[in-house]
Amino acid sequence: MRLIPSVTLLRSTALLTGLSLLSACEGRQSVLNPAGRDAQDVLGLIWVMFGGAALLWFLLGAIFAYVTRVEPREMPRRWGEALIIGGGVIFPVILLGALLAYSLPMMAPQRAAEEGLKVHITAEQWWWRVAYELPDGRRIVSANELRLPVGRRTGLVLNAHKVIHAFWVPALGGKVDMIPGRETYLSFQPEEPGVYRGQCAEFCGASHALMAFETVVMTPEDYAAWLEAEAADAQKPASAEAYRGAEVFAREGCGACHTVRGTSAAGQVGPDLTHVGSRKSLGAGILQMTQDDLSRFVAHTEAIKPEVAMPSYDHLTLKDLRALAAYLKGLT
Amino acid sequence: MSDIRDEQDAHEFRAEALSLWRITFGPLIWALHFVCSYGATALVCAKAGAEAVPVLRMGIGIGTLLALALIFWFGLQAWRQWDLRRDREWENDAGTGEDRHQFLGHAGFLLAAISFIGVVYVALPALFIGTCA
Repeated sequence: MRLIPSVTLLRSTALLTGLSLLSACEGRQSVLNPAGRDAQDVLGLIWVMFGGAALLWFLLGAIFAYVTRVEPREMPRRWGEALIIGGGVIFPVILLGALLAYSLPMMAPQRAAEEGLKVHITAEQWWWRVAYELPDGRRIVSANELRLPVGRRTGLVLNAHKVIHAFWVPALGGKVDMIPGRETYLSFQPEEPGVYRGQCAEFCGASHALMAFETVVMTPEDYAAWLEAEAADAQKPASAEAYRGAEVFAREGCGACHTVRGTSAAGQVGPDLTHVGSRKSLGAGILQMTQDDLSRFVAHTEAIKPEVAMPSYDHLTLKDLRALAAYLKGLT
Repeated sequence: MSDIRDEQDAHEFRAEALSLWRITFGPLIWALHFVCSYGATALVCAKAGAEAVPVLRMGIGIGTLLALALIFWFGLQAWRQWDLRRDREWENDAGTGEDRHQFLGHAGFLLAAISFIGVVYVALPALFIGTCA
């Protein structure tokens, strides 16, 4: 009868574990659903560590159960000494040493040199400045989205502007701090095309939780085509509404902070908007790339992203906002 | 009569003062090994090239063996001082000179053991990671 509480505990632990596994099934931002070599290595390490911890836990539990329930009598001195020194000192030292020895050789491959492409990512408050460095040294500037080719190792050169952030795409690999004034390096070798969510993983201020991004893994052919399009200047407004939006963009001085290549807008403070309409998300992974969300974000920036540098443009008329959104949406 | 006792006390005190020092040697070697290994690695990785890494790993290996040998030696001395095998006394909690002597051996032995493990764990990265990356 005295065992009943622990059975209940076991059952609820099992239930909780099951629930957390279930919630990971969607997998866009989960270490349990790896989509690249590095994430597979990390997951393997997690299971080995979990196995080691479970082994220790169960053995310790078994020893406790034995001495308190199965044989609750005084045991010979030598047995007791063997149990404490063997089970409490020698066994954990060997097990922890083995786990350490298993995990250490995995560190260097997570930072293996890239094959061709390098991406420079600088963490800002609270968005991501992204620049693709081509083998010829040319840099293509973008923001708030990372695109990677499948099957090839891409280097990620990480930096931060004002405070410490951390770069983490759980489905693709490990997590690395981004430190102002100091370059850190990580490399990914994705293996399955798809869209995976990344998230800043080090508290960096009011909108830390709202600092995310999408990572799009593409086939090499799609990737080459995308990179070529991304290197090009912005498209001209294609409709009367978009044209009016471009005028609002110029009139309101958006170009003082944002760059739209091919126009006079060349600001460096905020995200590059040259191809903003082709991105999978808006506002660093928090809104949809739709006309509605675009006008909402421009009008209520400070409410949607607390303490962000961009002011809310709530003085614009609804018509101007819609036009501006149409222009931005058309920048594909 | 009292002179002899005083002299004996002074002698005992000197011996215990020495073993009080000796129990710190294990952790001190561990700390020294830690600082030297990490400091040398930081310097080599920042200032020298990849060709210096094998030399660095060799150096850490030699330093580790030296540290382990020293800790082992201090641990052995402490083990003898504890004198467990002869009297099977795990606890030396009486306020006598002999108990104080053996207690310091006991503490020194345990500190040497943990320092030994610490040095091994500190050296493992140099054994398994061959680059500065």
